[in-house]
Amino acid sequence: MKKEDTVKLISAEGFEFVIDKEAAMVSQTIRNMLTSPGSFAETQDGKVTFPEISTTILEKICQYFYWSLQYARGKETDFHIEPELTLELMMAANYLHT
Amino acid sequence: MGGACSRKRGQLDHEDRPPLEIQRGQGKCPSLMELCAHKIREDIDRYSTFSMLPRDISQQIFNELVNSQRLTDISLEAFRDCALQDLYLGEYPGVNDKWMDVIASQGSSLLCVDLSGSDVSNSGLINLKDCTNLQSLNFNDCNQISDCGLGHISDLSNLTSLSFRRNNAITAQGMSAFAGLINLSKLDLERCIGIHGGLGHLKGLTKLESLNIKWCNCITDSDMKPLSGLRNLKSLQISCSKVTDVGITYLKATWTTIPLCHGEWGRSAKAFSIEFGGLPSDGCMLRLSFSLNILFSCIYAALGDLLYLNLNRCHLSDDGCEKFSRLGSLKVLNLGFNDITDACLVHLKGLTNLESLNLDSCGIGDDGLVNLAGDYFNSFPVITFIYLSRPFFIPIYANVLGLYHLKCLELSDTQVGSSGLRHLSGLASLESINLSFTVVADGGLRRLSGLSSLKSLNLDNRQITDTGLAALTSLTGLTHLDLFGARITDSGTTYLRNFKNLRSLEICGGGLTDAGVKHIKDLTSLSLLNLSQNSNLTDKTLELISGLTGLVSLNVSNSRITSAGLRHLKPLKNLRSLTLESCKVAANDIKKLQLSDLPDLVSFRPELSPSY
Repeated sequence: MKKEDTVKLISAEGFEFVIDKEAAMVSQTIRNMLTSPGSFAETQDGKVTFPEISTTILEKICQYFYWSLQYARGKETDFHIEPELTLELMMAANYLHT
Repeated sequence: MGGACSRKRGQLDHEDRPPLEIQRGQGKCPSLMELCAHKIREDIDRYSTFSMLPRDISQQIFNELVNSQRLTDISLEAFRDCALQDLYLGEYPGVNDKWMDVIASQGSSLLCVDLSGSDVSNSGLINLKDCTNLQSLNFNDCNQISDCGLGHISDLSNLTSLSFRRNNAITAQGMSAFAGLINLSKLDLERCIGIHGGLGHLKGLTKLESLNIKWCNCITDSDMKPLSGLRNLKSLQISCSKVTDVGITYLKATWTTIPLCHGEWGRSAKAFSIEFGGLPSDGCMLRLSFSLNILFSCIYAALGDLLYLNLNRCHLSDDGCEKFSRLGSLKVLNLGFNDITDACLVHLKGLTNLESLNLDSCGIGDDGLVNLAGDYFNSFPVITFIYLSRPFFIPIYANVLGLYHLKCLELSDTQVGSSGLRHLSGLASLESINLSFTVVADGGLRRLSGLSSLKSLNLDNRQITDTGLAALTSLTGLTHLDLFGARITDSGTTYLRNFKNLRSLEICGGGLTDAGVKHIKDLTSLSLLNLSQNSNLTDKTLELISGLTGLVSLNVSNSRITSAGLRHLKPLKNLRSLTLESCKVAANDIKKLQLSDLPDLVSFRPELSPSY
């Protein structure tokens, strides 16, 4: 996998998730960060830090990105959400516009 | 019912009847927000409060619960102090005064509340006092609210929209509460039967733009007088009240003061609409008696451009109809169910801005329609130019131009026949024509073949046969075709293949067999299909149409369909209404199909008997 095809998402605790750029772009917010010309440091580094999103939630969000890509390709499975994560996940989803 | 007898529909009731939309698009991926909201809905009992969430998220959860009907007085508690803005609880089951505490806890954030159809009473309204930013309140069908309750909302001066439709208890006394609502622009008191004498309290509401007192049969001429100072009133609905010429004269005063107050004398761009109109069943007690002279002197007095005029069932005759010719700005004119004849139509030919004309059940014949058509040999561009720059000349040149903006023409139940249709062939903007219950026959239909904008055509009459349908094959843009009573046979259905865009089709003349349905099976845009009264159709028909997966409504009543044929309907996942009356189909078998394969089916016939 070439480096420019991936992006690094960093959680509040400093955990790094390296995922496909295509997957990360499911989030409208991340898409804007990565594609807006020049204005974000993230555009050059391919690295986005989320000081407000915990590792557990960020992991779940990465899972959603890949689930969403599969869904778009016709594999319509259920996406499981643990009840105890739901509220925090929803707030993160709201921020990430996804 | 299968609709054993022919019936009238499509009378331009666009507001009341939203078009059927196909509910497809299952393939769209749900957002994570939607998935979370859905999950919270499932586990709602786990949550005791959402007040720590940002407002937009708690609002979304609230909406999700309302839409799925999962919100109860218990789960509502979690929304206390959430700073929600909109609480749309109209027709929501179980809403009563107990809910008001949490509703009011949204405080100054609250902007819109709809509690229509709830059991909320006067004491429940006390809670709203502190929601001082409220802009819109809707209490339609809340019959436990009376004068005393209105007092509790009298200080909500940020209200711009207020609705109390069908309230029997509100009287003039209680309406004094409205006097302080100085920002009100829309007030809806439709069917409030006790408000006579109360409109005086509206005198100071100078921002009022829309007032609906339709069906308030207590409203008389004297009630119109206080309205004369409402300088911004643009829309007044008073049909089915007791207002007569005398009351209308007060309004004349209203509209003559408009330009004075604004210092404008010319034709202002201000548009307004008036809806008069009488009762369908015409009880003598409520019979309207507008004379056109009085009405028009008021309309002329108003310097705004009248765009919309509804005079349905107003007992109009041809006398005074020449006045219509001066209403050159009209876009919508409803003259249905009046005693007017062709002589009246002469005066409509100047209304070149008309987009919709309703002549349902009027004494109109072929000769009258000539006035809708232009004289195309003489329509030089220079004349068009004069028309555009000097509206004053409209009546003079109008007969040259024709009603070329006309999109919608209602001629149902008139004496219009084939020869009249030639006058319509030049009206290239026409999108909808209703010719049901006319004497139009096959020979006239070729006159419609050039109307390429046509989307909706109603030919529900017995004179129409396969031959007529053959003349219409060029109308490939048709989305709605009604051949309910037309005598269409299998050979005629071959022409239907040209109408690939059809979303609704009705052929109920009795002449169809399974062989004819073969030509319908490829019309994949169909969402409504009515083939009832064709008594020779069998289960084969259901098999043929099983590929029409966009179908939302299907009727094959009075046919030889049996329960065994129901299995062919399994792929029709969008089906919401299924009617198979007078067939060999048991209600229980449809119920089974609903449970196993058709979750969206909300209405089916035959129904299960109540004792089941």
